[in-house]
Amino acid sequence: MRERSFDVVIIGSGAAGGTVAKELSSLCREGLSVAVLEWGAKLREQEYTGREAEMADKLYFDSGGFLTRDHAMTLAFGRAYGGSTVVYTGTSLALPETVLARWGVPGLEFADLRRRSEKYLAENNVHLLPDADLNDNNRLFLAACQRLGYRVEQFPINVKGCHGAGLCNLGCPNAAKQGTNCVQLPVAESQGVEVITNCRVETIGERECVATVANPSFGEPSRWPEGRYRIRAKAVVVAAGAVNSPALLLRSQLPVRLPALGRYFTTHPALILVGEHDRPITNFYGHPKSYYCDQFVESHGFLLETCMYFPFTTAKNLIGFGAVHSELMRSMDRMQMILVLAVDPALADNRVSIDRNGDPVVDYTLSDGVLDSLVASQKAAARVFFAAGCHRVHAPAGVRFFLTASERDRLDELITRDAFKLGKVSISSAHLMGGCRMGGGPSTSVTDAWGQVHGVPWLFVADASLFPASAEINPYVTIMALADRVAERVRARLPELRTA
Amino acid sequence: MNERQWQRLLHIGASIVPEVTGLDAEGQRRFRELVGGALAQRPRNMQRQFALFLGVLQWLPALRFGRRFDRLDAAQRDAVLRWLLDAPAMRLRNGFWGLRTLVFMGFYGQPQSWPAIGYRPSFDGNQHLHA
Repeated sequence: MRERSFDVVIIGSGAAGGTVAKELSSLCREGLSVAVLEWGAKLREQEYTGREAEMADKLYFDSGGFLTRDHAMTLAFGRAYGGSTVVYTGTSLALPETVLARWGVPGLEFADLRRRSEKYLAENNVHLLPDADLNDNNRLFLAACQRLGYRVEQFPINVKGCHGAGLCNLGCPNAAKQGTNCVQLPVAESQGVEVITNCRVETIGERECVATVANPSFGEPSRWPEGRYRIRAKAVVVAAGAVNSPALLLRSQLPVRLPALGRYFTTHPALILVGEHDRPITNFYGHPKSYYCDQFVESHGFLLETCMYFPFTTAKNLIGFGAVHSELMRSMDRMQMILVLAVDPALADNRVSIDRNGDPVVDYTLSDGVLDSLVASQKAAARVFFAAGCHRVHAPAGVRFFLTASERDRLDELITRDAFKLGKVSISSAHLMGGCRMGGGPSTSVTDAWGQVHGVPWLFVADASLFPASAEINPYVTIMALADRVAERVRARLPELRTA
Repeated sequence: MNERQWQRLLHIGASIVPEVTGLDAEGQRRFRELVGGALAQRPRNMQRQFALFLGVLQWLPALRFGRRFDRLDAAQRDAVLRWLLDAPAMRLRNGFWGLRTLVFMGFYGQPQSWPAIGYRPSFDGNQHLHA
């Protein structure tokens, strides 16, 4: 086994790992050493082909199809230099004060979190797209929501030089999306941080971790030769995402008992709905996600967002098969799409654990409240589609494949909980949160408000696994703001950790 | 999967995506590559479960129609699959979801199928918006 040694090791290079790397990179000028260990590859520019199956294989764990234990839900999370920031759509919202109040984490203040969020909104060039760059799929949603009196807002997004490829979820082929691969990691590396790709961390021991470097057939080769490594560090920051961070800590048999480790996992369970227009609209050209409607978050526990997906993803989200399914698929250029997301509660039994190989297993039960929200969200989405002029709509909880515009006043009887059967519908999630939640003490949480693992002074967690409950919005800016705090705490504690 | 299982999958696949029957040799090769690649990444027990599900689907219709799936007419095949879509047991619904997902991947995952469904992506989509 090869040996390496650093002052700080950061596991993961996504929204959290990339942020911590950049924030601690100035340590390199002070003669300290910082490394990022990233499981995924750094793709070359020409490898962003926009081909769905190919890019899903290269950029996602399990090709974007990680299943919960009961197979009721698919979880999508990235594996790449830049983590999930390579594959998200870049919508950037700061955590609302009401949500932070519900989190109730002692020592986590709104003003502090907001200040740090604003920093990343600026750093990532977050702004509203100009009108000329909005496609029909988005404009129709806006107009329909306004017609229905639904509150609708434009998503600020983190892009620079966006050409509207609409391929955000397969990696931006124009390098326009300002993920950590484009912003924080290059800065960190220029300051002397070593980013080691194709490096899977197996376990964490006392101030060290064991990892294996193995180069896949794509992307740049790792900076380190292939093989197994023992990497010693004064401080270790785990930023491997809400599935892999708890899994890694569970594999590592920490010297403290943390009953909350892996628990209180939330996901914003989501569904894709499709409406069909009688003429082609611009939908796969342009940024896919410009608007959201949060009218029903407080009352019914769901959000509506614009979206546009690719052929295979679209096909698998339509609940059916055969001639009628093919008929709708043949009208991809006439489809309007809406993503509905439920705000799910943080339940102890929704959790990440590990199997006998140490690989993550996710147990997640969709509560009655969440199922009710998902059914209600489909009715709201159908109303939006019909108000936008769709002549028919496909809803996963529809009593039949198509609902027509003439039936718009009967949605309560045509979109039902009975028709919404687990295992039949494609419920998915890309907002994975919790598992290493922040809180007051080790009996109910894994870390303090600064991401330090209770009872393990050299070990920190920095990613969405810190969230004690759902963010109720896209989580990325909040992840970066929390990671900023973690970096500050690591820097403050490093002098004593180096002498320990 | 062995050759017999592949042929069975393509035959069943044609009931899920009718256009599968129109795949030429190269299209079938791409279908196998996509589906095979996806299956290879799954744990062994999941691969075995899928093969088992294909076997169950092949023989299940004998209970109702007295014949295997590949000996049914189009309406009967459709009826069997519709029953699976809403099957009383979640495991069966899951199994059919997995089967549909693989068939959709094998067909719609091929860029060659995109023109026929009106999907024409561009790295410069804004050019089309501004035209």
